[in-house]
Amino acid sequence: MTPAIRRRPFLPLFVTPAVLVAVAIVAAMAAILRYSLHAYVPGSLDVGGLTLENFSDLGRPIVLRALRDTVLICFETALITLIVGYPVAYALVRTRSLFLKSVILVTAVTPLFLGEVVRTYAWTVVLGNSGFVNATLRQLGLIERPIQLMFTELGVIIALVHVTLPVMVIMLAAALAHIDRDYERAAQSLGAGPVRAFLTVTLPLSLPGVVAGFTTAFAWTFSAFATPQVIGGGKVGVVSTLVYQLGLSSFNFPVAASLSLAGLVLALGTMWLVRRAARPLEALGGH
Amino acid sequence: MLSKAVDLSPPASLPGAAVTDRPTPAVRLDGVVKRFGTVTALEETWLRVEQGEFLTLLGPSGCGKTTLLNLMAGFLEADAGEIFIGDDLVTATPPYEREIGIVFQNYALFPHMSVAKNVGYGLRMRGLPKREIAERVAQALALVKLTGFADRSPRQLSGGQQQRVALARALVIRPKVLLLDEPFSALDKNLRGAMQVELKEIQRRLGVTTVFVTHDQGEALSMSDRIVVMSAGRVRQVGTPDQVYRHPQDRFVAGFIGDVNRLPGRLESRAGERATVAIGDLRREVEAEALRDCAAGAAVDVFVRPDHLGVRPMGEAGTLPAQVAALVYQGSHIDLHADLHPDLAGSGRVVVRMPGHGALATYAPGTPVGLLVPQGGLVAFPPEP
Amino acid sequence: MRRGLSTRLLGISGKVLVGLILAFIVLPALVVTLAAFNDRAILSFPPAKYSTRWFTRALTYRDFQTGLWNSLVVTAWASTIALVVGTGFAIALKRYAFRFKAGLEGVLLSPLIVPHFTIGLGLLVLATGIGAARGFAVVVLTHVIVVLPFVIRSVYISLQNIDERLELAAASLGARPGRVLGTITLPLLAPGLVSGWLFAAILSFNEFTASLFVTGQATQTLPVAMYGYVREFADPTLAAVSVIYIAVTALALTVANTFLGLGKVLNVEQGR
Repeated sequence: MTPAIRRRPFLPLFVTPAVLVAVAIVAAMAAILRYSLHAYVPGSLDVGGLTLENFSDLGRPIVLRALRDTVLICFETALITLIVGYPVAYALVRTRSLFLKSVILVTAVTPLFLGEVVRTYAWTVVLGNSGFVNATLRQLGLIERPIQLMFTELGVIIALVHVTLPVMVIMLAAALAHIDRDYERAAQSLGAGPVRAFLTVTLPLSLPGVVAGFTTAFAWTFSAFATPQVIGGGKVGVVSTLVYQLGLSSFNFPVAASLSLAGLVLALGTMWLVRRAARPLEALGGH
Repeated sequence: MLSKAVDLSPPASLPGAAVTDRPTPAVRLDGVVKRFGTVTALEETWLRVEQGEFLTLLGPSGCGKTTLLNLMAGFLEADAGEIFIGDDLVTATPPYEREIGIVFQNYALFPHMSVAKNVGYGLRMRGLPKREIAERVAQALALVKLTGFADRSPRQLSGGQQQRVALARALVIRPKVLLLDEPFSALDKNLRGAMQVELKEIQRRLGVTTVFVTHDQGEALSMSDRIVVMSAGRVRQVGTPDQVYRHPQDRFVAGFIGDVNRLPGRLESRAGERATVAIGDLRREVEAEALRDCAAGAAVDVFVRPDHLGVRPMGEAGTLPAQVAALVYQGSHIDLHADLHPDLAGSGRVVVRMPGHGALATYAPGTPVGLLVPQGGLVAFPPEP
Repeated sequence: MRRGLSTRLLGISGKVLVGLILAFIVLPALVVTLAAFNDRAILSFPPAKYSTRWFTRALTYRDFQTGLWNSLVVTAWASTIALVVGTGFAIALKRYAFRFKAGLEGVLLSPLIVPHFTIGLGLLVLATGIGAARGFAVVVLTHVIVVLPFVIRSVYISLQNIDERLELAAASLGARPGRVLGTITLPLLAPGLVSGWLFAAILSFNEFTASLFVTGQATQTLPVAMYGYVREFADPTLAAVSVIYIAVTALALTVANTFLGLGKVLNVEQGR
């Protein structure tokens, strides 16, 4: 008997390493879950008995405020990023010149690959009291005292918009690139001006990309740590900085773990809600 | 009579029985079935491809012809039945041990290898000595008239040249069967005709058994020794081009091979192998075999080729009343489109192919005419359920 | 005529708007470059005197030296492991059906959504539990997890551009699966593998949040060392490091772009 045809040669070889990594991811999440359900023993990394106390700790005002502020900041950042990113994505996809196209692409995308620390530091140089913005405004005679940008929510949001802009542009451009240009041309041939054609045809068709970009920007902002920590300077408390304080400064792994979980649930829940809310809108887009 | 001339295996009583008085076929499919999930892509199929034969699998897309080809190649595994190549049972043999050559629709030339490396690939896989590989590659390139192209990249070749490379690559391994998967559909029309002639010539010279998949009935009629007409995962008819063209066995084959008109008729009587059908006031004889399940008086569809019909003045004997709807200029001939008289139950539009251009001046749209229906060359089938 | 004018105005204002946004994107990089060459220790604009002394300090600062070395080691290991793991998985994902495929894909791509501080904390407590906290192995594992989604995506897209019939043709010509992989699939995949590796390396070299949790004094990577510096000092040494970072990253991106168009990886090319 000849050997049976193997339809999936090397499958174990291909998949086993990936399974090992997946196991590590699952184990890490499971470890968080385990810690969140055990009591904190001060001065020790070991944990005590099973408890739900860590989660009731999350009811403290400072934690609640951080959770609320995080969601608000993420939401504002995602919204501003969307508004700022759309024109860039549109220009990227519709520019006919190949040179301009690659200029826009490289400019918009390079920050994606720059670490959070470098970018955050750069923003402190821009936003600081003797930084670029204030120095420029003062030299132009527009202000006498520096505007406080560091250690404010505004400063944090400006820097976060900068952080999430590349990924927003990429996701919007991906959606726009798959919309046939002839739809717009057809609309214009039917008498719609460029603005009307955009609003009635292109924008609705790009809604799936808008939703994807918004939720991704939301997730990235939620994940940001260095930006709120350095630019917020402790004045702007968000989940990531709080987890860091609890986990690495006070070594309270159990509460840090439960806060991480709460944050994850909050982030996923909000993203789910956004997608839900956008579903009727997307149906309008007809995809 | 016609069903006896063609090879529609199996004898229902003896599935899989070896037919001993014929030589071993190049490929044999015994009751092969292929399903994808709940969809049956290929219903139980019995088929013999004779040694040296040029066999065409013909049918519309989704008819199962490509599935059948992939089963022969070993790219798919049959859910039931056995496949033989020569004397070897290959049902479970992987493609790399089947010794088949295949030419894909897009040729699938390896873009990162030169023409010579492409053609020599199968020989390298067989571990042949370098000298022999070089010799056989040169021979194969000469066969397809591409001597001197050895060091080109496939990207630098025209569509026709790429196809020759693909053919050389498939033939150089001296395959037991050559499989061709719609190889001409990517070529423009002029080149296609020339390549068809050339491929047929090479095939005849080498005597290599060839299975050719196409949806183009013209290609099938002009190239094949035998044609397997398929639709909806089933083999409808196997026969020579002439058999499937002139003696279709069911209404699908009648409608698919060549242009054809459908006239509404009624079964009048049956006598042995012949039956008489009524079309309006006309009586015509057809083969009785296909109407065996019809009662006298039942409605039947009568099929007639456009070039078998004639146009006469209205009311002449042997004609059906009709009205000219349009004349379509086709170069060497005129297609006259006519609407049958509404009194003919189930009447529709009919096309008459008229040689020359005289019809253009004679028949303006709206002219009442009589359609001359020939005595022979008609086939009738029960209407669609 | 009127429409022509308003359309043109619209086009011009659109271009100005896009230009301004692009300026906003590049502004921090420009400003930080300016600051890096500022002779004075206190950040101020515009610089009164230019010098390269911060670059000298950056290159001789011990934490940055060890951080750079650690980063290079971690990046080399992590991106190479991620490439091997991701390539195998991308091939399986594209070509085969197998049990738990969707679940496995979901878990491996989850670092795109799960905050990095959660991943970092999880791996920290996990490593603490098995007594391997702050070792290189955990740092490398963390980076593999974080960059793997990008490798999978990059390789998957390259696979999509390889006609499967090429592999079938090779098989029909007698190539066993191993030969098909070695002579057809991998050679055609090479550009995707190179760019996948480069993207992984760039991301790993820049990874910060998760690293902050899993690195220790001996294993801290360059971004972590930089973060430590920014919390203690306010001089432009960090600006100098940032400039080096930006330059290296831009260079690597350009290289990656020539192997496999960025637009293709990011899926933003206009379909025809």
